[in-house]
Amino acid sequence: MSDLSYDEWADAVREGRLLGLACSCGHTNGSPTAACPHCGSRDLERVDLPTEGVVHTETTIQVPPATFETRGYQVVVVEVGDARVMGRVEGDEVDIGDRVTLAGTIAEDDDHPAPVFEAR
Amino acid sequence: MADAAVVGAGMTEFGVHDTTLQELFGEAAFAALDDAGVEADALDALYFGNAMGGQTENETHLGPRVASHIGAAGLPVQRFEDACATSANAFKNAVQAVDAGVHDIVLVGGVERCTPVTGKETPEMTRIFASASHRQYEQPTGLTFPGVFALLTKRHMHEHGTTEEQLAAVAVKNHAHGTHNPRAHFGKETTVEEVLEGPVVADPFRLMDCCPFSDGASAVVVVGGDLADSFDAPVDVGGVGHATDVVPLGDKADLTATQAARDAASEAYEEAGITAGDADFAEVHDCFTGAEVLASEAIGFAPDGEGGTYAAEGRTSLSGDRPVNPSGGLKAKGHPIGATGTAQIVELTEQIRGTAGERQVTDSEVGVAHNLGGDAATTVVSVLEAHS
Repeated sequence: MSDLSYDEWADAVREGRLLGLACSCGHTNGSPTAACPHCGSRDLERVDLPTEGVVHTETTIQVPPATFETRGYQVVVVEVGDARVMGRVEGDEVDIGDRVTLAGTIAEDDDHPAPVFEAR
Repeated sequence: MADAAVVGAGMTEFGVHDTTLQELFGEAAFAALDDAGVEADALDALYFGNAMGGQTENETHLGPRVASHIGAAGLPVQRFEDACATSANAFKNAVQAVDAGVHDIVLVGGVERCTPVTGKETPEMTRIFASASHRQYEQPTGLTFPGVFALLTKRHMHEHGTTEEQLAAVAVKNHAHGTHNPRAHFGKETTVEEVLEGPVVADPFRLMDCCPFSDGASAVVVVGGDLADSFDAPVDVGGVGHATDVVPLGDKADLTATQAARDAASEAYEEAGITAGDADFAEVHDCFTGAEVLASEAIGFAPDGEGGTYAAEGRTSLSGDRPVNPSGGLKAKGHPIGATGTAQIVELTEQIRGTAGERQVTDSEVGVAHNLGGDAATTVVSVLEAHS
């Protein structure tokens, strides 16, 4: 079984690092699971993902859920190395294909951190 | 082919219902039983769907309660929760049970209330819906369900050139279809201009790209194939497919494929012995206009990348060559989460019987239902056919 827990992943995000799990099948997971979601292998290698990447897709949310006070925030899926990670964008809005870099975290949701990216 | 048939179908109007969950379900259940011409004491089991009653109305363990309400206490009741694919999963399990000879005659259905009659306004209900996304890796960004499908659709626009006007064409089409459906939440037409002038919910989606919060219930009676001829208007179940995809969405192999839908469609078509081209119409899970574009491609009603073009050219309209969502879809008919899956089966049944009135698809012998749950994580695809 992989040795990367959610708590370790979240602690790393708070420290400005992105952890993933690489599988010999070629898939790298941007969020911890006990086994590779694509091939089922439990032999996964913990890897440090790059903190710079490319926007894979994005949207700006104008109708937020309760607990999120401010509307108009951008959510992105970012390609970081061989993995993808979901996060927020702060500062200038970005488009698909733009380069972004990890710039911090937000914790508006019961202390669950989300990575924050900004345009390079 | 599955050895099963739908012999009764019923649903409430979708809209706003200041009615209890069991009363709402009872209305649909009795409509289905009456349509089949049976009483509750004929049933062997109830397959019941409700996705969010615990969160929205502090109501759980609804199975025995709704069974008691319709005079069917004592039956084995199984309750399903698969976000928006809740009652399609109930339908799949019911079909497999009669196909395997476990039961002869069962009731399948679902109920949900999502409008402010629950006491939950938009921010609270948006948060409850978002609970179907990943708690640790998606929700902390403030992701919503319009946001989930916006992320998938933006990628589709990037890869295939799908436009906001094409997305608006999906809303215009489904609203037009909904005007012919007396049970639809929305009964008026809209225009591309009106859609494009609406307030943004999560770009590229504006208000009219999004299905409404709805209350409602739906139900069907399913029997083993050997019993079908003893009912007045049976419709055969050709096949049912069910698949899941990776969660969170960032870890999916391909964000525009909605792979679970492709896998479920392949399974259902193989069991039915058909290809997508053999199907005459489809009801798909258009929770957002972009979701219909992805769905119509995933089930083979449009080539990859052309789902938006097909809508804009009218090919997926009632009068087109590949009709999609003759009921008005979730967009116009409404989307009471746990009732949506079996409501699609109700529409397929009526279309194949030829009793759909002004929204009747011509030559509608084979219909496909595509019901999706979560961040494209669960999809159930069902094929219904004229009785042979």
